[in-house]
Amino acid sequence: MNMKVVPKQTISIPEVVDILHRGGVVVAPTDTVYGLLCDAKNEIAVKKLIAIKNRPAGKPISVFVSDFDMLNAYGVLNVQQSSVLKTILPGRYTIVLDSKHKNSSLLESEKGTLGFRFIDNAFITELVKQFGSPLTATSANLSGSEPHYSIKTLLSDLRSKTELIDLVVDAGDLPHNKPSTVLDLTTPTVQTIRGGDLLWKEDVALISHSEEETQMIARLQMGSILDSVQKKPVVFILEGELGVGKTVFVKAIAESLEIPRVVSPTYVIYYEYDVSGHPFIQYLIHFDLFSLEEDEEFKVLQIDRMLKPGNVLCFEWGEKAGPVFEMLKEKAEIVFIHMKYTGKGEREIAIRRKK
Amino acid sequence: MALILAIDTSCDETSAAVVDGQRILSSVVYSQILIHKQWGGVVPNLAKRAHVERLDSVVANALKKYNSIAKVTDWNGSPEYVEKIMHSLDAVAVTYGPGLAVALEAGIVKAKELSNRYHKPLIGVNHMEGHIYSVFMQNRNGNPERPFQFPYLALLVSGGHTELIHMKGHRTYELLGETVDDAGGEALDKAAKMLGLGYPGGPVIEQLAQEVHNEDRYRFPRPMAKSKDYQFSFSGLKTSFLYFLREMGEEEKNKNLRYLASSFQEAVFDSILLKTERAMKEKGLNRILVGGGVSANRYLRKRFRRLVRQYQGEVLFPSFSYLTGDNAAMIGAVGSIMFEQKQFMKDPDALEREPRLLVASSA
Repeated sequence: MNMKVVPKQTISIPEVVDILHRGGVVVAPTDTVYGLLCDAKNEIAVKKLIAIKNRPAGKPISVFVSDFDMLNAYGVLNVQQSSVLKTILPGRYTIVLDSKHKNSSLLESEKGTLGFRFIDNAFITELVKQFGSPLTATSANLSGSEPHYSIKTLLSDLRSKTELIDLVVDAGDLPHNKPSTVLDLTTPTVQTIRGGDLLWKEDVALISHSEEETQMIARLQMGSILDSVQKKPVVFILEGELGVGKTVFVKAIAESLEIPRVVSPTYVIYYEYDVSGHPFIQYLIHFDLFSLEEDEEFKVLQIDRMLKPGNVLCFEWGEKAGPVFEMLKEKAEIVFIHMKYTGKGEREIAIRRKK
Repeated sequence: MALILAIDTSCDETSAAVVDGQRILSSVVYSQILIHKQWGGVVPNLAKRAHVERLDSVVANALKKYNSIAKVTDWNGSPEYVEKIMHSLDAVAVTYGPGLAVALEAGIVKAKELSNRYHKPLIGVNHMEGHIYSVFMQNRNGNPERPFQFPYLALLVSGGHTELIHMKGHRTYELLGETVDDAGGEALDKAAKMLGLGYPGGPVIEQLAQEVHNEDRYRFPRPMAKSKDYQFSFSGLKTSFLYFLREMGEEEKNKNLRYLASSFQEAVFDSILLKTERAMKEKGLNRILVGGGVSANRYLRKRFRRLVRQYQGEVLFPSFSYLTGDNAAMIGAVGSIMFEQKQFMKDPDALEREPRLLVASSA
């Protein structure tokens, strides 16, 4: 098989479409670098492409789509997501969605997600449109080496593999655009706590009009657990949307224990504070489960070791504590704090305790 | 300078490196060699926290890469091979804080084991010092040139930190200010989440903002602008952004996504620059170091370059892009200085993690 190099100005799109339909692999300029294109549904073509790149098996490959209908046909999107995407696409993004598994499974990640590229590039978009289904969107270089902006360096990099390539669309040197920005829109799989998981003995709802009032409510809660914490660890599960004041609540708890510097633990998942100077409390452990994405991740946190009398555990995004909830229920006293925005500057703080 | 094997497991990244002072001889960051679950430039935040399982191979890889340059011995994969390489090094350095407790523990255990087995001094390194030194790193040929010209004003801004530090000399710091709630990078991540943009948020916000030339259409409040100190706060900004989006409604929000992203980023960066400039003026500093994940943002870099120009100063960012994130090479650079200063653990077994370790006590 001979590789053809054709200048982009003289290329005929139907001819490229024909090569792709026959399972061919095409090198073409994209919005970023030179890419390797093949029929995303054709398992053999995809295998050829993986061989060209020396790409380890299991590493996902994105696909080009020509419009929103095609995106919807191959990826799982809800209404909100698609309205967000409509404002930023076409553009230099790779959108990761749960796959509808209609392309070669070799392109998907282990979790069954697939990367989609709907780009602002007339040539690629027209090509995919005429082709009628997604084409692979991966840079034309050996796995692990730099991507190519010029045909010359590309061909020397892929030297021994050129017999697997059917056509090169030559557009000369490409501008050095940044690689695409990756946006993962797949929903975390972390199990959430559902209503009815516990029977509550108390159910109080308080309204806070300011940060100070929220702090006062938090301090009152601390006061009420001082007895029980000597027998059992106490767990505060805080629920409520971003910016509603969960960190403010935990900071107030910390201040009541004279811990001055409490910052958000989102990035590291939790911070522990030694308060052994306190008569009843040993450690305050401040969790933020915001960025946990898989049940597996709970295992490495070793939460079971922290569940000792004298310890207070606060969980921001506590609704994601599903995988450890049984254990918490069994070993700890639980105080459930649900914070809700109810109007400008006003929040409802519902407090419930386990029976 | 001293030859150091460094290990960092402060949070998500498992990394090991061999450095000679500022020069990086080998560097392995797990997310780079991670062959699955990688979509391109940015790795989604997946379960990357079980360091123990892969620390051995990350360390072995760093040693092997170092050997391919230093040619200490021929590769045969035997325990003697590792021993020969280890004997060519001066010390083992490891991050002991700040960070995620269980993650730190994994690195410390491994470093202690290596230190004991090969009779090498153990050096405990503060991760934040590593980020400061990340701007001075060089490749193995000693490029780029990065001489130390103290004093500096160092700003560390990432998903977990926002700190302003006066660096008076090697490893001599005064903490001027830090965030009282969320970190700068975290604020950007959370704003992206509120806009429905998934994770990670920083690079998306940067890209969207750039698409409207960083226009500041909505002028969100600049947090802590009036406070006469060097503290930062981003949680109030996050809340006002939430209210603003609510008032705006879903449809309008989506229509103006780029302007919202841009205006939010501008508020965060303004607040960072404001405090930096205050410290420059009041402390008479015009050489700035910016490290941490957010220092990868090109627009922020531009803003800093513009700022220092007014003061005939200079600003340094991590010399290679992977050094903006967590990595062991920067830990090695600090370890190398500590080796010269003879700051070893007298009893290696006494090294304990400190999840909330500070870079320096506040003035």
